[in-house]
Amino acid sequence: MLIVGEMKLAEVIHHDYNLVPVVNRFNIPLGFGDGTIKQICAERNVNLEFLLSILNTFHDPQYFPKDHLKSFPASIIVNYLHKAHTYYLDEKIPQIKQMIKQLFELSEGNKKTLNLISNFFNNYCKEFESHVDREEAEVYPYVLALEEALKNSSKEKHINEELLKYSIGTYEEDHEDVEEKLFDMKSLIIKYLPLESADNKLFEEVSYSLLRELFVLEKDLNEHSRIEDLILVPKVEGMEKQYKSKL
Amino acid sequence: MESVVSIYIVENNFLLRSGIEGLIQEIPGLILKEVFEGNEKNLYEKLIDKKPDIIIVDPNSLGDNFISIISKLQDEADIKIIGLTREDCPENICSRFKYQLPYEANKHILLENLRDACGSDALLKKNKQGSLSKRELVILKEVVKGLTNQEVADKLFLSIHTVMTHRKNITKKLGIKTVSGLMVYALMNNIIDINEVG
Ligand SMILES: [Fe+2]
Ligand SMILES: [Fe+2]
Repeated sequence: MLIVGEMKLAEVIHHDYNLVPVVNRFNIPLGFGDGTIKQICAERNVNLEFLLSILNTFHDPQYFPKDHLKSFPASIIVNYLHKAHTYYLDEKIPQIKQMIKQLFELSEGNKKTLNLISNFFNNYCKEFESHVDREEAEVYPYVLALEEALKNSSKEKHINEELLKYSIGTYEEDHEDVEEKLFDMKSLIIKYLPLESADNKLFEEVSYSLLRELFVLEKDLNEHSRIEDLILVPKVEGMEKQYKSKL
Repeated sequence: MESVVSIYIVENNFLLRSGIEGLIQEIPGLILKEVFEGNEKNLYEKLIDKKPDIIIVDPNSLGDNFISIISKLQDEADIKIIGLTREDCPENICSRFKYQLPYEANKHILLENLRDACGSDALLKKNKQGSLSKRELVILKEVVKGLTNQEVADKLFLSIHTVMTHRKNITKKLGIKTVSGLMVYALMNNIIDINEVG
């Protein structure tokens, strides 16, 4: 299904509940009524084209947002990605860590496997943080500066040499996969989590919730990377071309 | 992950492709990995590289390359080929396919044919692959010690290609893609000792 502005947001979410966190990230809290996406965007001052691109990217793995690329500023994308980072780092990861901690407390058996899984996840978090750090400290500021420079370029005649030193292509080339390890973690939990005694129901419950969280986070990160690769990178490539043409 | 039959499709026509995808989804244990266009460059190499169980081919999509590609594919004993056949499909083309999905057949027949081609043996074969072979265990040990594929190859007197094939199979069987994930697996199952890894 291609999501378009004339659809009712409530119906779209009924159709694909994976879109809930997306809507949430756009500061559209639940209880948004019966409006179409277009109406709700207008009410809340959300860029319609951008919201549609993100909803469609999340909803359909085949979706490729060519046509919308030019219609919204890069700062909107950066702002969205930044919010998503905060959500992962401040909400999702602590939640998962909390669940692992609970498993430790509930487990009556050997803690070796739990220890290994927990270390694995902690190492993953460190890698993930440095991935995010790089984007926040290096890539996004560059994108924002470039956008600013383009805005002013008609007035100012000189070119900012600093901006020419970096290129989004470098980022794209070594933008590494951050979901692979979550995939492994799921396998380890699904297949190799140690058996607890049958009446340790709480342990079972928490391990299922943990697994569910991992599935959701993996999917979310997957789409996040696609937004970076398919929306941010091409957009910035276009901006770079435009900037260089002023030389 | 290890208990699925992997399917690839060569079909240019979107409507047909969607139809085939729909059929594949109806049979548990089958998974559609990728769709190719018939005129893609190095199509044969690309297909072989994926180690497919089944390839569904539309002769119309292959056009003039049909004979050369089909002949090569038929030399691969492990790969089953299913042809999408039209009523007016010439005999010299139709006869190339042991398994067929005829255009005019109803859904029930199409599903039957597809299931026939997969055969229960395909699923069974895959299911059995749960545990690692001796060779794979040896390679796993070296990998989690931090050796690169090349180093493993040198140490065990294997070609790098062989090592890579084993690595792929290990990942497939265990459902674990990263070295650190493999390390956790190896430690969990006492395949290596914590002192052996850096
Ligand atoms: Fe990111
Ligand atoms: Fe990223």
